[in-house]
Amino acid sequence: MKTSTKRWVVLLMLLCMLLSSLSSALADDDDWYTYSYSYWGEEMASPNAYAVTDIIYPTTLDPELGKFSSPGGMFCIDDLVFVCDTNNNRIVELQKADGVYKLVRIIYTFQVAKDLANLIDFEGEIDNTLFNPTDIYVKKITLEERIETYGEYRGELYEFTEGSLKPEDDTPENPDENTQENTEEPDSATTSDTEDGEGGEGGEGGEGGEGGEGGEGGEGGEQQPKPVKPTERKPNVVREKLDREYDLYIADSQHCRVLHLDYDLNLVGVIRDPKDDTLGPDYIFHPEHLVTDNAYRTYVQAQGGLNGFMEFDKDGNFTGYMGAAKVTISLIEKIWRKLKTQEQKDRSEQFVPTEYNNLSLDSRGFIYATISAVEDQEIWDGTATPVRKLNAMGTDILIRNGNFFPMGDISWGNTKHAASGASRFVDVIAFNNDTYCCLDKTRGKLFVYDFQGNLLYAFGNVGYTRGRFSQNQVTAMDNPDEETILVLDGLRGNITEFTMTDYGRMINEAIRLYKIGSYDESADVWRTILQYNGNLELAYVGIGRALLRKGEYKEAMRYFENAHDIENYSKAYQHYREQVVEKYIIYAVVILAALIIIPKIIRKIKKMRKEIKEA
Amino acid sequence: MSKVFSGIANFFKGEGWSHYRKTLRYALYVILHPFDGFWDLTHEKRGSMAAAHTIVILTVLTHIWDRRFTSFLLNNTRWSQFSIWLNIFGILVPLIIWVTANWCVTTLLDGKGHFHEIYMGTAYALTPYPLIGIPMIFLSNIVTKEEGVFYTYFNTFALIWAGFLILCAVLMIHDYSLGWGLVAIIISLVGMAVIMFIVLLFFSLISDAVVFFVSIYKEILFRL
Repeated sequence: MKTSTKRWVVLLMLLCMLLSSLSSALADDDDWYTYSYSYWGEEMASPNAYAVTDIIYPTTLDPELGKFSSPGGMFCIDDLVFVCDTNNNRIVELQKADGVYKLVRIIYTFQVAKDLANLIDFEGEIDNTLFNPTDIYVKKITLEERIETYGEYRGELYEFTEGSLKPEDDTPENPDENTQENTEEPDSATTSDTEDGEGGEGGEGGEGGEGGEGGEGGEGGEQQPKPVKPTERKPNVVREKLDREYDLYIADSQHCRVLHLDYDLNLVGVIRDPKDDTLGPDYIFHPEHLVTDNAYRTYVQAQGGLNGFMEFDKDGNFTGYMGAAKVTISLIEKIWRKLKTQEQKDRSEQFVPTEYNNLSLDSRGFIYATISAVEDQEIWDGTATPVRKLNAMGTDILIRNGNFFPMGDISWGNTKHAASGASRFVDVIAFNNDTYCCLDKTRGKLFVYDFQGNLLYAFGNVGYTRGRFSQNQVTAMDNPDEETILVLDGLRGNITEFTMTDYGRMINEAIRLYKIGSYDESADVWRTILQYNGNLELAYVGIGRALLRKGEYKEAMRYFENAHDIENYSKAYQHYREQVVEKYIIYAVVILAALIIIPKIIRKIKKMRKEIKEA
Repeated sequence: MSKVFSGIANFFKGEGWSHYRKTLRYALYVILHPFDGFWDLTHEKRGSMAAAHTIVILTVLTHIWDRRFTSFLLNNTRWSQFSIWLNIFGILVPLIIWVTANWCVTTLLDGKGHFHEIYMGTAYALTPYPLIGIPMIFLSNIVTKEEGVFYTYFNTFALIWAGFLILCAVLMIHDYSLGWGLVAIIISLVGMAVIMFIVLLFFSLISDAVVFFVSIYKEILFRL
């Protein structure tokens, strides 16, 4: 008897152990691609909102192109894609025609009129090459408009002397390396991959053209490869002559200037040497990212710019900073400052908080900006805002009504990949319906938020398969249209094209209908979305809102409870309570009245009886 | 079996039942007249362990009901992570550790109270929690989010009241002055931390030891 009980106990324990190991094995298998966050901050699997439709490998596009070396910026306009191939000192222009990307031209140099030649003087030489171009911004403009705004810029062209350029003074470079750089076939590339912990990259995934994407100079971690000055004026490669009316703004970072060119690569203007008291005498202007708005103002994010974006007028004059957050000093800090010496004060002054790292313009002229030079803790407690939307005054007007601030991942360490810590946004794009997408370099993910700051979906990851990126090395993204996103991987030097799926389109449709006030139609779309993704709390809120407006409060409460939307639940409940009270108030009155009146009547009857008796 | 039933029946018929009701009702007097109340609770034997147990059970139940039946608006319970045992022991274990720590400390600090008296006093001091908490659960279900502040206020009030009563209980049971009482409470809290630390240490050592012997056993099996 006793032994058999023991056996049973042991058997049960074994079973429990087995089951628990089984459940943990199941729990491990949560490596979904697209997800959103629940109210509790859990990753909830979601259907793919974007699917990888193409990966552009520069090597397969054109034999002349070679590999990208640390490409840092990208801009899409109409059917064209401009890629800043930063370390190869060139800009590559691609065109998507009939669903296929092909090379249009490779830009190494540009032309300049004689009168404007002194604008591009760099260290005593008229230099029309690019030196580490990090970003490009392209804007539609007609020739007349351009001349009207900027004055005549065409004229007799400046004749450049043939041959090599003056080598860089301060950085003694091996001339062999320089020529190697310019033929842009860095052979030493594969060795640099291993130090990044990304060894064996070329082999995995079976993707061609991924072998030597490292480019010259170690790509280890955050370290930027050393820029190498172009030594000769390479002729531009033109595969196709297009007739377009665009303005090109190029952040020619190591030449310390922003170039303004027309589409045929004639120099229109230059932004350089900003003059201001706040910029010490030894300040060197290294522009990194830029946009130009419809009033011809250029906003530049420059290296070491801690005061926000630098704003330039159409003539290239520095007009001030934009988007610097106010420094809030707490009481304790104020007291503490009183005790500091002047030297300490000077040192602490330098810690001005706002160091943007990228920006983009939305269709209505608001600037979306990202910040990544902040502590993890600041992101977590909401004191830092990794993404901002700036109005013309430079005030952050991004709406943050979601359960979590737009900060990318909420759980930072439980991914199976080595990447941990907060998401670091390196680029942002805004769509016409005020949703916006942030690119996280920590884990190579894209986060799409709606206009209220709710996370719609997040996708991407670190890895070697399609739709995954190298860790900490995604550099830029842009959207040629409302349904396509291109992401540039700086280490692998390829571009991944994402196209929206039906699921993503439905979400956009629901948002659109909601914004124009068709709440019922919007709810219908949300209902369809729920059939695809029952995890999406936004869908429940959308349906609940429509029900609330229709007056179906009880039902609305059910939906709000599913989404854990306390505010709206409370509103619905208030109405529901009114309904219930209205419905039952009559009974309550009757019962109350009865309780008051009946005893009175009884008393009266008794009295009457008494009187009758007495009478 | 029949003995047990007859025992229970006798309890309800006899002196025990009325005594129990009297001592339980005395809790209502205690919470309104804490100084008199706690003095008489032990010194005049006007409280009973049965009543103390009842109040503790009610406190645990109130806590669980609060999680379960409070309106969605005021209830942030994550049901997928909810454990009823965690909620039960989340009250009982700190209570037991508190009583133990307080007993240890007051024994050294010249306290007059016995272990069961400390338990009884603490239990009686918890009375406001179920007393206010249970009506608040009902109230929560007929308020909106804005009106929900009343729920929060009243529940906070109940906790503050209970805390004040625990202080009074310590003062009266051990016959302390206010200063000594506060000192005793602070040292008791430190003692609670020490007890928890030792218990955790003990468990981790035991588990390490078990692992050690199991591995020795395995090794021997392997060698044989």
